[in-house]
Amino acid sequence: MDDSPLKVLIADDNQTDRLILTAIVKKMGHDVVTAADGLEAVALYNAQQPDIVLLDVMMPNMNGQEAAVQIKAIAGEDFVPIIFLTSLQDANDLAACLDSGGDDFLTKPYNKIILQAKINAFSRMRRMNNTLQQQRDVIRENNEHLMHEQQVARAVYDNVAHSGCLDLPNLKFLLSPFSIFNGDVLLAARRPSGSLHILLGDFTGHGLPAAIGAMPLAEIFYGMTAKGFLMADILREINVKLKNILPVGYFCCACMANVSFRKEEIEIWMGGLPDFYLFRNKNREIEKVASNHLPLGVLSSHAFDAGTQSFSFEVSDKFFMWSDGIIESRNEEGDLFGEDRLLDVFHNTPQEHEIFDEILRTVNEFAGANGMDDDTTLLEVTMVSEEEAGTADIDLSSGAVTGPTNWNMSYTLRGETLRNFNPLPVLLNILNDVPSLRRMSGQLYTLMAELFSNGFEHGVLGLSSELKSNAEGFAEYYRQRELALNNIGDGFVKFEFDHAPTKDGGKLEITVSDSGPGFNYESKKETTMVDSAFSGRGIPLIRSLCDNLQYQGNGNIVKVNLSWLTNIEE
Amino acid sequence: MSNLDLDQLEELKDIMEDGFVDLIETYINDSDEKLAKLAGILASDNATEISEIAHSLKGSSLNISAQTLGGCFKVIEDQGRDNNLEKINENYELAFAEYQQVKAQLLTLLN
Repeated sequence: MDDSPLKVLIADDNQTDRLILTAIVKKMGHDVVTAADGLEAVALYNAQQPDIVLLDVMMPNMNGQEAAVQIKAIAGEDFVPIIFLTSLQDANDLAACLDSGGDDFLTKPYNKIILQAKINAFSRMRRMNNTLQQQRDVIRENNEHLMHEQQVARAVYDNVAHSGCLDLPNLKFLLSPFSIFNGDVLLAARRPSGSLHILLGDFTGHGLPAAIGAMPLAEIFYGMTAKGFLMADILREINVKLKNILPVGYFCCACMANVSFRKEEIEIWMGGLPDFYLFRNKNREIEKVASNHLPLGVLSSHAFDAGTQSFSFEVSDKFFMWSDGIIESRNEEGDLFGEDRLLDVFHNTPQEHEIFDEILRTVNEFAGANGMDDDTTLLEVTMVSEEEAGTADIDLSSGAVTGPTNWNMSYTLRGETLRNFNPLPVLLNILNDVPSLRRMSGQLYTLMAELFSNGFEHGVLGLSSELKSNAEGFAEYYRQRELALNNIGDGFVKFEFDHAPTKDGGKLEITVSDSGPGFNYESKKETTMVDSAFSGRGIPLIRSLCDNLQYQGNGNIVKVNLSWLTNIEE
Repeated sequence: MSNLDLDQLEELKDIMEDGFVDLIETYINDSDEKLAKLAGILASDNATEISEIAHSLKGSSLNISAQTLGGCFKVIEDQGRDNNLEKINENYELAFAEYQQVKAQLLTLLN
C-alpha cells in the first residue's frame, strides 16, 4: 500500500478545533494546510491542490457546503474527498452535507481512530480513481492515435480500392461500413475489350484486418483487368496472394463476374457467398446463382479451381450481388431476414428499377432499431447495350516516346498451353510498345480476342456458335466446349504480327492461323452479314475494327490490316 | 467531581504533546471572548448570531472534553435556531457557571 504523506486541507473557524484536528492529522504523518473560513478554504484549495479536504459546516464568509460545491467544481474529474466536520446530530442535517457534495462526515468530539480510518479509506479511493483516470487517458490517447492511423490508412485504401468504375450508370451499389473500414470490397473495372469486371468480396471479420487483405486484392484486380487478363487468371492470382498473406482462418468470400456487353453474357465465379439472383426482365423470373467454390485464400494454387459459370444476360436483365449482411440481418426478436423475405421483395416490386431501393428499405425496416450488425453490401448490375456501355478508358500515360516500328514476330500456342493460357495480355503488351498502338489498345484487344476466339473455339475446338443463340444452347455450348478441351491434342493457334513504318505513321498486319479444318469462306462471300457462320464468327465486328480482312487457305487462316497516322496523335 | 471527561483529556494530551498548553490557552482565550460577545447580544433579539456563537463554543467544548459544557451551549444554540429566546438569560448563566469550573480545572492542568 502506498503510504506517502497526503496534503490535507483543514477548514474550521474555531481555532481550538483546528488545533486538535491539525495535531491528529499530523500525527498520522500527513501535511496540513489550514483555513479559517470557506472563502479561504477555496483559495487554498486552488493554490495548494490538497489530496483531502476536511470542512467545517458552519463557518463565516462562506459556509462549508458552499465551499464544497466550489471545490468539487474546481477539481473537475479529479476525485477530491471532502469530509464534513460537524457536531450536527440531526440525520437530515448530516444527509444535507453529503447532498452538497461531501463524501463523508466526522462528528465532534473528534475521534482519531475513526478519522484515521476515513482518511485511509479515501486515500485508497483517490488512488484508485487516479489509476482509472490515467488508464482512461492512456486508452483515449491510444484510441485517438489508432483513429488517426486508420483515417490515414483509409485515405490510402480508398485510393487503391475505389479507383475503378463503380460510378458507371448501369451499376447501383451500397457499401455500409461497420467501422472506418469495411470488411466488404466492391470493385469494378473495364477490360480493354470493353467488358466489365466486377468483384464483390467479404473478408472474415471487419475493420482494419479485413481491409488490409482488400488492398492487394484491389491492386491485382485493377492491374490485371487493365492489362486484359481473364477472370480465371485474376482469380488465381488473388487466391494465391491471399493464401500467402492472410492468417489461417482468414479468407475472402467472393464473387467475380465478367459482363460482356457485346456477347450479352455474364460469366460468374462464386465462392462462399449466399445465392445471387439473375433477374430476367423479359419474364420477371429469377435464376439463382450459387457458390460452387471455396472462398479465396483457402486453397493452395494447385487445388484452386477458377472454373466459371456462364449465363446469357440480355439488355435490361439485372444481376444482384450482396454480402451476407443482407440475408443475415436480424430484427429485435433475433430473427434472420432470410431468403424468403428477399424473394418476396422481388415478387412484390412491380417496377424492376425499384428493386434495389426496395431491398434496402425492407432490410432496414426489418432490422429496425437493431440496425444492421454486419458489413452490408449490395450491388445491382443492369445489362445495357454495347453503345450505352461505351468504351473503356485506356491509360495513355507513360511509355517510350518512340517505340519499335519495324518488326515481325510470331507466337504459337499449342496443346495444353492453348487450354490454360490466355495469350492476349502478353501480346497486347508487345503491341503497346508502339506508342501509337497504345492509343488503339482497346480496339486491338477486341480484335485479337475475336480472332483468337474464332481460331480456338471454332477452329481448334470445332464448336458451333449457333448454339449460343438461346439460353438452353448456352449450357450445351459450354458442355461441348468442356468436352473438346479435354481432346485438344496437338491443336494450335498461331499469331503473326508484322509492323512496318509508313510515310505518315505505321501499319500492322495480324495473321491468325489455327489447326482446325477451316470453313468455306468463298461461298459466304456474297451473302449478307447476318449469315450465322459469319456473324457467329464476329466478322462484322472485326471488319469494323480494321481496314481489311481476308481469309486464306481452308478458311483457317485470317489476315487483318490496320494502319495509323502520326498526325492524329495528341 | 470533574467537569471534564478524563479519558478524553488523556487522549488529547497524547495527541497534542507539546501543543497541549497552547491548545488550552487558545480554548480559554477564544471562549472568554465568545462568551463576552454572547453576553453582549443576549438582549438584541439576534437569534441567528446567538445560535452561531453557541454552536462554535459547543464544538470546541466537546473537543476539549468538556461534555457537560458542550450540552449547555447546545441548549442555547437550539434556542437561537428555533428563534425562542425564552429563559435565554438563565441558560446563559448556567453555561457561564459551568464554563468557570471547566476553565479553573483546565488551568490547574497547566501548572
